[in-house]
Amino acid sequence: MYISINWIKDFVDLDDIDVENLIYKFTMSTAEVEGITKHGEDIQNVIVAQIVSVEDVENSKKLHKLIVNTGKEKLQVICGAPNVKPNAKVAFAQIGSIVQGQKIEKAILAGNESNGMCLSEKELGISDDHSGIIILDDNAKLGEDIKNIIPIDDIIYEVDNKSLTNRPDLWGHYGIAREIATITKRPLKPLDVEVLSIYNDLEKLDIGVEVDNDENPLCLRYSGMRVENVTKKQASWKMKVRLYYCGMRSINLLADMTNYIMLELGQPMHAFDQNVVDSVYVKTLKDNTKFTTLDGQERNLSKGTLMIWHKDEPVAIAGVMGGLASEIKDDTNSLFLESANFEAVNIRKTASKLDLRTDAAARYEKTLDPELTETAIARFIKLLKEEDNGVKITSSFTDVYIKRYPHITIHITKDYIDKSIGKTISTDEIISTLTNLAFVTKVEDNDITIDVPTFRATKDVSQKADIVEEIARIHGYDNITPQTNLWKVSPVKKDALRELEYSTKDLLATKYGMSEIHSYVWYNTELNQELGIKVKDNLKITNGIVKLDNTLRREMAPTILYAINNNLKYMQECKIFEIGRTFDYNFDGKNADEYKVLGIGLASFKESEKDLVFEAKSMIDNIVMVNKNLTVNYKNIEVIENNWMHPVNSFEILVNNISLGYISVLHPKIKETINAKTSVVIAELRIDLLGNMLKKDICYKEVSKYQTVNFDLSLIVDKAIKYETIESIIKSANLDYLIDFSLVDIYEQNALSNKKTFTIRFTIGSYTDTLTKEQIDAEREKVLNAFNLNGIYINE
Amino acid sequence: MESKLSNLKEQIINKMNDVKTSADIEKIRVEFLGKKGKLIDILKNIKNVEASKRKEIGEKTNLLKVEVENLIESKKEELKEKEFENKIKNTEKIDITIPVNDKIGSLHPITIVQKELEDIFTSMGFTVEDGNEVETEYNNFEAVNVPKYHPARDMQDTFWLENGQLLKTQTSAAQNKIMLKYGAPLKAIFPGRCFRNEALDASHENTFFQMEGMMIDKNVSIANLIYFMKTLLSEVFKKDVEVRLRPGYFPFVEPGFELDIKCPYCSGKGCKVCKNGSWIELCPCGMIHPNVLKMGGIDPEEYSGFAFGLGLSRLAMMKYNINDLRALNSCDLRVLKQMNIK
Repeated sequence: MYISINWIKDFVDLDDIDVENLIYKFTMSTAEVEGITKHGEDIQNVIVAQIVSVEDVENSKKLHKLIVNTGKEKLQVICGAPNVKPNAKVAFAQIGSIVQGQKIEKAILAGNESNGMCLSEKELGISDDHSGIIILDDNAKLGEDIKNIIPIDDIIYEVDNKSLTNRPDLWGHYGIAREIATITKRPLKPLDVEVLSIYNDLEKLDIGVEVDNDENPLCLRYSGMRVENVTKKQASWKMKVRLYYCGMRSINLLADMTNYIMLELGQPMHAFDQNVVDSVYVKTLKDNTKFTTLDGQERNLSKGTLMIWHKDEPVAIAGVMGGLASEIKDDTNSLFLESANFEAVNIRKTASKLDLRTDAAARYEKTLDPELTETAIARFIKLLKEEDNGVKITSSFTDVYIKRYPHITIHITKDYIDKSIGKTISTDEIISTLTNLAFVTKVEDNDITIDVPTFRATKDVSQKADIVEEIARIHGYDNITPQTNLWKVSPVKKDALRELEYSTKDLLATKYGMSEIHSYVWYNTELNQELGIKVKDNLKITNGIVKLDNTLRREMAPTILYAINNNLKYMQECKIFEIGRTFDYNFDGKNADEYKVLGIGLASFKESEKDLVFEAKSMIDNIVMVNKNLTVNYKNIEVIENNWMHPVNSFEILVNNISLGYISVLHPKIKETINAKTSVVIAELRIDLLGNMLKKDICYKEVSKYQTVNFDLSLIVDKAIKYETIESIIKSANLDYLIDFSLVDIYEQNALSNKKTFTIRFTIGSYTDTLTKEQIDAEREKVLNAFNLNGIYINE
Repeated sequence: MESKLSNLKEQIINKMNDVKTSADIEKIRVEFLGKKGKLIDILKNIKNVEASKRKEIGEKTNLLKVEVENLIESKKEELKEKEFENKIKNTEKIDITIPVNDKIGSLHPITIVQKELEDIFTSMGFTVEDGNEVETEYNNFEAVNVPKYHPARDMQDTFWLENGQLLKTQTSAAQNKIMLKYGAPLKAIFPGRCFRNEALDASHENTFFQMEGMMIDKNVSIANLIYFMKTLLSEVFKKDVEVRLRPGYFPFVEPGFELDIKCPYCSGKGCKVCKNGSWIELCPCGMIHPNVLKMGGIDPEEYSGFAFGLGLSRLAMMKYNINDLRALNSCDLRVLKQMNIK
């Protein structure tokens, strides 16, 4: 919202106050200021002059040759404006004056000398109108500085609207002026208003309000007044310039008046053409209806929208925008003035549904004080009379007041305030701050009873914390000395899952040279198509800006693959991981489950798929061993669930017999869309499930004092035989002295052979004796027998 | 006999001088000390020496034997030394400037900054909590004092989900759960990924990281909050920082503040980071709203507290001088590889 310092000066004396410093203090005590604009500095020495004569310029359809009288001299001026006419008083930039920061110099236009410029409103910076030059009142004095007639000089500052969300009272200049009066410790001038009671004897207006909900009515108050015999069409320069500087466009006197009151008091008003609307009824639409708003747009209003009706015709969307048919036109001379209060939530719903966030709606949704409707009308009449002294008020102030907000009284103690702020604030300061902000206080010793003004009582101020804020912010947060406090510090329990996460990240980055990425938690439809990734349906975003990418991820693999796909454009190897969330939705309307999953993606030109699978396996083994002291089992996945998984080489990760994820070679079809020459392996690990597992205790086993013996067996097996078969046979042999065994070699004579050789090294020994040759031979014999029983023989 | 001995001694010394390899030494050893060696031979034939001289000759021969043994030993060592010298002289010189093929991984900048902050907070007695990314409307809004249709919802464009849940717009979504879990007094931080339904540009992302903290105890004041934030941020930036509070509106705190810091990079003189503004808007904070405490099962008459939010993405950008927020979610290893692992 834009605030005009000139406007503020109507209510607070700012003499001898440095305005920039004041705006800084406003930031520090009230709300964030986003910028300051100084108007009028780029206009200097523009004066009132009079056109004496107008002649056409030869060979030009547009240009006129004027003789302009500045009061001191008569000058020839070439001007392109269509509305030049003899005797008109104009805003004239003489040679040497400054317009829009540029010095005006003598010019030759179409061969004619031009000694200055007649200015448009746009050139003066007071509106966007460049259709013609400004024609001033006939009584303007020749040679007078234009700034004495049009208040061009002003400082405007913009307040961040978001920081006013909870302050309905600050949506107008008068409320801002109250803050500034409090900050500067100067008095706030009372608002100059018409005394409405003098019209009590006049006819009442026909205003009706349908109340469908006594507790929470959609219309809290509807006040109206009728004004006739309006003859002036244009608002005063003061009003027009202020509106323009505050971001509005001047339309005509009556429309400008309603906007001016809104910017001054925060109360939206609406002026109906009395000839079209002479009575109103406020009620909701019973059916979906088409309605043309005054911006000329036809809109589809849904049933239940609160409307202002004239007889059987809706004439305005309550609190949002008026209708085109009852709009004030330039020849309107009588009006039905609306000043109403509508329920905030309903206005907000209607405005967002219609995507019509008008200035009125933006104010109503903040929960305005219903008391304001009357003040606004009283101020409107006062100012209208100043603008056009011929107007006649032809109705009494007519008021339908449905709901008043309860009066709020807050009891607080000085101790509470001091304790909350952490500094002793004098009772005098507390009382003067509150009084300046229009709270009414009563002090009894330590107790302070505070009556909240109606314009702060709609929801903003309701409890002690709110009062503390008022005192502290006006005192200045900068003036509060930081204070330590000896809170008890107790040891912090470490979170096992968090430890696991950091340890996993460190391990993957340091030991395996992997890079951590952050991807989005939704699938990218375009990339899924490009890469041929098929994803299962899942929970969807309903209102995303990118409509297609609305499905939340159920698995990490797709987003990991997007990253691999992108990085392989620039590099030959891409080894990445992410610990992210996946979501599991049952399409039952209930809350979705959320998992924490480690996603791993390995892509390399140099390494084989097998190398990468073992690299991934090493990672998983390490993560599980380092953190939980557990071993991992892997099982071939019989039926793949996702189309990026390899039908043969995909493996389930099992710890304590619980499935924690998978390692898989990327399906060749998808690999080809990324890069046919690259090996790609994907793995996912449920880090949350692993985090929940207990760490297996490390159990010390004594080392044998006696010598151990090694022997190797080279076993010829069918190619299809897995190493785990060998392991289980060895275990089944129940050797008496087996300490350890390990795989030392796998040998395949050639690709065509259907056999391979596993070489196993056995370590045997006893804890009580050195083994004899007989004992050693017996052990060897025993394990060989076990193999023979399974049809496995050694390579002699 | 005596002359034979001194002759032998001379022979040995001469031969020793000519020694070049350990094989030469072995030859000398065999010649004089071997089973049939010349010295051993004398000892074997000592009985043939006349009795009066036998003892003297024996002693002298033994003495010479020891002498020779010592000579051989020291010569051996001398030779070994030379061999090492030669070995070292002939070693291949390693060119240390050849690049190694070591893979150095990288952690995401958010992880690095988050860990750093978590360590600071845990050292100050805060527990670290985790929140969900998909949240209920209640936790994200209602429980932090933003009822339905409250205009404050405009401050956060929300991704709504088909089941009525949402992608959490703020870490504050975890406040209620944490208060209900621990009660008061309470010191907790909760970092997490947040989402806003916005178009992307250099300073807007739909996915970013925040870290929020809550500190609830008896007699917590605004002055305490200022002290705490100043201490904390001095730790974060590893230097004494100047802070200022101004009013800010956040529905879950009352009063609410915007906390600015004097730019720690230029000490307020004006630079790229603070866009020559000298103050950087860094951290929304405030005294926890009594309604929020109540909804969290904590009596606002007995306890008070403050809450604060830190933009992890923002801090990471400041720390690494990243000027485009989108870089953090780019998954681009050309960007991410620059973040070393510590």
